[in-house]
Amino acid sequence: MAKELIQKSVEELAPLLESGSLSPVDLTKAVLDHAEETQDTINAYMTFYRDEAEQAAREAEKEIKDGNYRGMYHGIPMALKDNLYFKNKVTTMSSKIHKDFIPEDDATVVTKLREAGVIFTGKLSMHEYAWGITNNNPHYGAVRNPWDTSKIPGGSSGGSGAAVSIGSSVASLGTDTAGSIRIPSSICGIVGLKPTHGRVSKYGCYPLAWSLDHIGPMTKTIKDAAGMMDIISGYDAKDPTSVDTPVDSHLKKIKGNVKDLVIGVNEEYFFKEVDNEVDQVVRGNIQALVDQGAKVEVVKIPSLKYAEWAELVTSLSEASTIHHEDMLKRPQDFGDDIRMLFELGELPSAVDYLQAQQVRRQLKQEFQQAFQKVDVLIAPTLPVVASTIGDDTVELNGKKVDLIDNIIRFTGPSNLTGLPALSVPGGFKGNLPVGVQIIGPAFSEALLLDVGYAIEQTNPLKNKKPPLLSKV
Amino acid sequence: MSLSVKQLLENKGIQAKPEHLEILESRWKGMQALRGNLENIKIEDADIGLRNIPGGDHIG
Repeated sequence: MAKELIQKSVEELAPLLESGSLSPVDLTKAVLDHAEETQDTINAYMTFYRDEAEQAAREAEKEIKDGNYRGMYHGIPMALKDNLYFKNKVTTMSSKIHKDFIPEDDATVVTKLREAGVIFTGKLSMHEYAWGITNNNPHYGAVRNPWDTSKIPGGSSGGSGAAVSIGSSVASLGTDTAGSIRIPSSICGIVGLKPTHGRVSKYGCYPLAWSLDHIGPMTKTIKDAAGMMDIISGYDAKDPTSVDTPVDSHLKKIKGNVKDLVIGVNEEYFFKEVDNEVDQVVRGNIQALVDQGAKVEVVKIPSLKYAEWAELVTSLSEASTIHHEDMLKRPQDFGDDIRMLFELGELPSAVDYLQAQQVRRQLKQEFQQAFQKVDVLIAPTLPVVASTIGDDTVELNGKKVDLIDNIIRFTGPSNLTGLPALSVPGGFKGNLPVGVQIIGPAFSEALLLDVGYAIEQTNPLKNKKPPLLSKV
Repeated sequence: MSLSVKQLLENKGIQAKPEHLEILESRWKGMQALRGNLENIKIEDADIGLRNIPGGDHIG
């Protein structure tokens, strides 16, 4: 029973909880037991909140029994990335410097999920200060990929990716500055959505790079992500980048009908230097949508050739500004990898930074023009699959290439433009999952989820689960 | 005159780890290469849209 429970999605669990045939107490215990059992192998959690979670589960059980069911996420156990603030709870950013940091307030997303009835089971590991993609953390150990424990789970939301994939959190949230939701989602075979910048409040999230940071769902299914977006979206006066635009129900719009959908394909950037098998998987998914009535148009976005430079200059400069004081006073307390990035981020000039913002403006205009021709763009989430833990390189069609430079190539542009981007599982290379990325116009999250649902309905993972789950 | 990465960082009070310097030099050169022919394209009139809002831009 417990083994079946931890594999279920929110959309499968919600009706059981609502009808009373499943108790939130049993579900929470099953998830926490499983999370503790797999901790030695996967290392997804930073902290467990067992006592509070079981207490919250008993309260949820009573509320539901009394007829006060709040909705899809009521009674769902979930752990969050450790850069999201919980009032009076240690929030470490998986760093040494903030190991005892206690926020004075909840993050807005935490408040919203709590109001929706979510039961918090703990905090999840991340790449230190979210500034990396391996989750090989020097202070708290490497998080391992449930599909192959010798591989990285991706990052920086690697704890979230691994936990959702293995079932030690039913769903989760990640944060994304250059791909940190979509990278681990692609690598761990789950759904990850980076919403439009300003759609989900960032209040109470420790920043990596203000103008590029986003918070979004990481879930087992598209409907789980849509349900979570219904909860966490919306204007928040506490976040200066929050946008006051009406929010419709994402969940209600999911039909999976792609008839007459126009898919944009940009060959020059998003299909250049891609692993051959990854390329095949992504094109296979596009064909599956065409078979359902979608059309394909080729689109040009010339400024994409400057996107990597603009993303690097912007993210490095902003991140190094945030950590400048600690780099002066206690650089030895940063992990070696991020210390080097903070050093690098001190090098760009003001002119470099501002030119990067000009490139960003051009890029936004060109994407806007592209979306006058097409409804969405489809691309690989990553040009490669998961690399080996401890290896700074990754194999790309027989050549060893730099891991960081390559893994953020296709995700970074949507952080620069602020446009929404979804990663949905599209298949495998060997035993390692491959993600398909769907990018859309501003505030088109519901459309992206709908297209993602059409892909999900083709069962691209063929019901395969991480091998560790078969040992549970 | 072009300053080394070490000098640039020292001017800002940052003590780079000695073993990082070579990698930083190479990464910094790599970034310059990514910049490509940016100097030759017309971005002068691309207004980055920084807003100077009197009295602040948000509540709270």
